[in-house]
Amino acid sequence: MRFVDEFRDAELGRALAAEILAGVEPGRRYKVMEVCGGHTHTIYRYGIDDLLPENVELVHGPGCPVCVIPMGRVDDGIALARRPEVIFTCFGDMMRVPGGDGCLLDARAGGADVRMVYSPLDALRLAREHPEREVVFFAIGFETTAPSTALTLLRARAEGVRNFSVFCNHVLIVPPLRALLRSPDLRLDGFIGPGHVATVVGARPFEFLPADHHKPVVIAGFEPLDLLQAVHMLLRQLAEGRCQVENQYTRVVPYDGNPQALRVLEQVFELRPHFEWRGLGFISHSGLRLRDEFADLDAEHRFEVPGVRVADPKACQCGEVLKGVIKPWECKVFGTACTPERPIGTCMVSSEGACAAYYNFGRLAREREVV
Amino acid sequence: MSAESFHCVTCADEALPMRVESVAADGAAVCAGDIQVLTDLVGPVAEGDRLLVHAGVAIARLEA
Repeated sequence: MRFVDEFRDAELGRALAAEILAGVEPGRRYKVMEVCGGHTHTIYRYGIDDLLPENVELVHGPGCPVCVIPMGRVDDGIALARRPEVIFTCFGDMMRVPGGDGCLLDARAGGADVRMVYSPLDALRLAREHPEREVVFFAIGFETTAPSTALTLLRARAEGVRNFSVFCNHVLIVPPLRALLRSPDLRLDGFIGPGHVATVVGARPFEFLPADHHKPVVIAGFEPLDLLQAVHMLLRQLAEGRCQVENQYTRVVPYDGNPQALRVLEQVFELRPHFEWRGLGFISHSGLRLRDEFADLDAEHRFEVPGVRVADPKACQCGEVLKGVIKPWECKVFGTACTPERPIGTCMVSSEGACAAYYNFGRLAREREVV
Repeated sequence: MSAESFHCVTCADEALPMRVESVAADGAAVCAGDIQVLTDLVGPVAEGDRLLVHAGVAIARLEA
């Protein structure tokens, strides 16, 4: 398939890896954070780590939308799902995320009507098909996913669908990056920027990384060669003493993003004063909520939501993993008490989560990384 | 578990290139047999156009 096959060419990959190796400074250690869970997934699925020089380390950042949802919001979702009139809809990975007392799958086993959807539009269709029920959509995701929720809300409004609402947990990518950069135990040389978030918001919002923090960033696509090229471009910036936003994913990402998508986001959502992130705590202006004009479609207005706050389990070190302070396998419960089948932490739930990616694909790489 | 099922719909990783096979009466693109894709964010589409699709919505156009 065009735009896919040519970015998986093994020969080109090896050539690029050789160029990267030739360009690194011997004795210098490079630490690069990929922000997006999709990148983490590609790195382990295609063994990108094994193609990189030993002194180039990839650190997995807080870009998996499932992994950053705090337990309290899961419990709030479960409370909504247990209402007898509600059909509660969510993306598949959300169903296994543990709250303080079980996950949505457990709630379904207990009789709640919880259904998996691929798009909020599927949830709206369910609402049309079941006018006697209340259909709630558990909206999660960064700026890539939020426009889909916004369009669904606009469509619900236009069609006058009254039994549909959204439990909004959309988040923004820039605030957690700013929070991470304030962390004293973090040492990074640069970032690989999230290609599909940037499809919506553009490359411009990442200019604060070089301007305020002197960290170079390369916006990258999701095929193996995209990531290798992004690492190459980032190391070249470091070698040449440059520090700027570069766009590797020009075949998709315009520098200013998608103006129509930004318009619908602005029309439907506003910033929350604070939003809690798994492992990172409360971050100001990092989450979205529905504007007052859409209050009738907002599950948090329509129903009583408990507003539960649950501390992360003590044994779980998702926070350190999300900050790149420890590797997933350095967590005390990795692969023993916490597995993809029975996750304790959210990073083990989603296939984009750093822990699940390591568990599924990355165990062979561990020995090499113990240096 | 197949390799494809490792994909996560919430993540940008799941934004997939798709080819428009036909256009529905309401302007939605029909891709990959019977998948309806909203095109509000990319403008009108025609058969053969290539789109980047995430959670049922085209978020970008790709070169034909």
